[in-house]
Amino acid sequence: MAQIPGAGDAHHSDRLQFIIVFRAPKSPRSSQSQLPTRADEDLMALVQGGDAQAFEIIFDRHADAAFSLAYRMCGRRGMAEDVVQDAFLSLWRSGARYDHRRGSVRSWVLKVVHNRAIDAFRRASVHTGRDVVDDGLTERMTASEDTGAEVQRREEAREVRSALDELPTEQRQVIELAYFGGFSHSQIADMLKLPAGTVKGRMRLGLDKMRNVLGDLAGATV
Amino acid sequence: MDKTPNNPEHTRGGCGLDVTAYALGALDAADAEAFAAHLETCAMCREELVEFEAVVATLPMSVPQHTAPDSLRRRVLDTVQQESHQAVTAQERGAPRWAWLTRITVPRPALAIGAAVAVLALIVLGGLALGPSSSPGTHVYAAQVTGATGTAQVKVTGGHAELVLRHFSPPPAGKIYEVWVARPHHSPQPTSALFSVTSQGNGDVGVPANLRGVNVIMVTPEPPGGSRVPTHSPVILARLA
Repeated sequence: MAQIPGAGDAHHSDRLQFIIVFRAPKSPRSSQSQLPTRADEDLMALVQGGDAQAFEIIFDRHADAAFSLAYRMCGRRGMAEDVVQDAFLSLWRSGARYDHRRGSVRSWVLKVVHNRAIDAFRRASVHTGRDVVDDGLTERMTASEDTGAEVQRREEAREVRSALDELPTEQRQVIELAYFGGFSHSQIADMLKLPAGTVKGRMRLGLDKMRNVLGDLAGATV
Repeated sequence: MDKTPNNPEHTRGGCGLDVTAYALGALDAADAEAFAAHLETCAMCREELVEFEAVVATLPMSVPQHTAPDSLRRRVLDTVQQESHQAVTAQERGAPRWAWLTRITVPRPALAIGAAVAVLALIVLGGLALGPSSSPGTHVYAAQVTGATGTAQVKVTGGHAELVLRHFSPPPAGKIYEVWVARPHHSPQPTSALFSVTSQGNGDVGVPANLRGVNVIMVTPEPPGGSRVPTHSPVILARLA
């Protein structure tokens, strides 16, 4: 093994060099203490520059929603965790692809999670659909932070759940199989022994009703 | 635009049905491709697609809410921190040659011993690695796993190598796995591949290195950001011969 240069240096000198090398970079990571108050879109600009602290705040803001969606889709905790891990790491590594003109950070995160879950279904050749396995997870009844934004988010979630629940069963079923199950309309037609056109028609009727019920809320979430 | 009732011609014509299936991602691949081409020429579908995509974007809000596990948070943020440090390290590579030594938290005597152990392990374990199995164009080498559980293989295709791990132990707390390549009579060289495994212990890791002359690929646990010389003996060692 080659001689390691500097092995005989004074210990305090090592420490000094260590501190110098690890001092916080100046830009664009200044004002770290203000990061938690900044909007998602501002944080994403920092993430695109490789700011891990900004990414951590983005993660903490959206991880619960991401995990909840993944768990609803996958039905298994381990698979849901892998999907969310995969999704967030892809966001970290490709943050430059986020475009605020195309929607909020949350909807972007959830879209990536949705796509990754469907990819995972295809790799595993399994669809657990809505039959989630009871592996100890319980629904989070209260928000960890009762901020105004969180209260509004819960109210909006209630509206969306209500709009979905009020659909006729056959319309809700095809929408849920498509979105949460990742099934194509022809797969759903085979499963339900229906003509493909009927499946598409039910999707149309269901989403039409939700569009009318949710109104501006639908536009506000993207 | 009046949304109720729908334009009957639009809906009966088929594209009005396709637009919602497309927004849900439920069209088969060929149909989706055809509909995407149709969008180029149908303003009504384009307008509706925006509206229906907005409705679809609300669907995640309807699911029961759970708290993301702490273990998931740790895995994601540890990886991000490590990659962030790695990026900083890469930026600093123009610094004086001795500078990297100061970034390693292991005391220097331990570093030297660890590196020596790693090289010794290369010599001793190198002969234990298993030979390749082959499919056309691909050679698969089973790797020796030491001090960890699970299996590891190296697949080499067209000068590119990939580590395939299954049910493999995660790195020790505060460590990341680093991939090394070695050539005969030379010390192991670090690659930029730093990784962990999924909660199932799986991982498919590309080996970002020129394989010319490489006879060993190995993996060691290292501090976040990686090391320039191995500080631990290898947990994975594959001999490419």
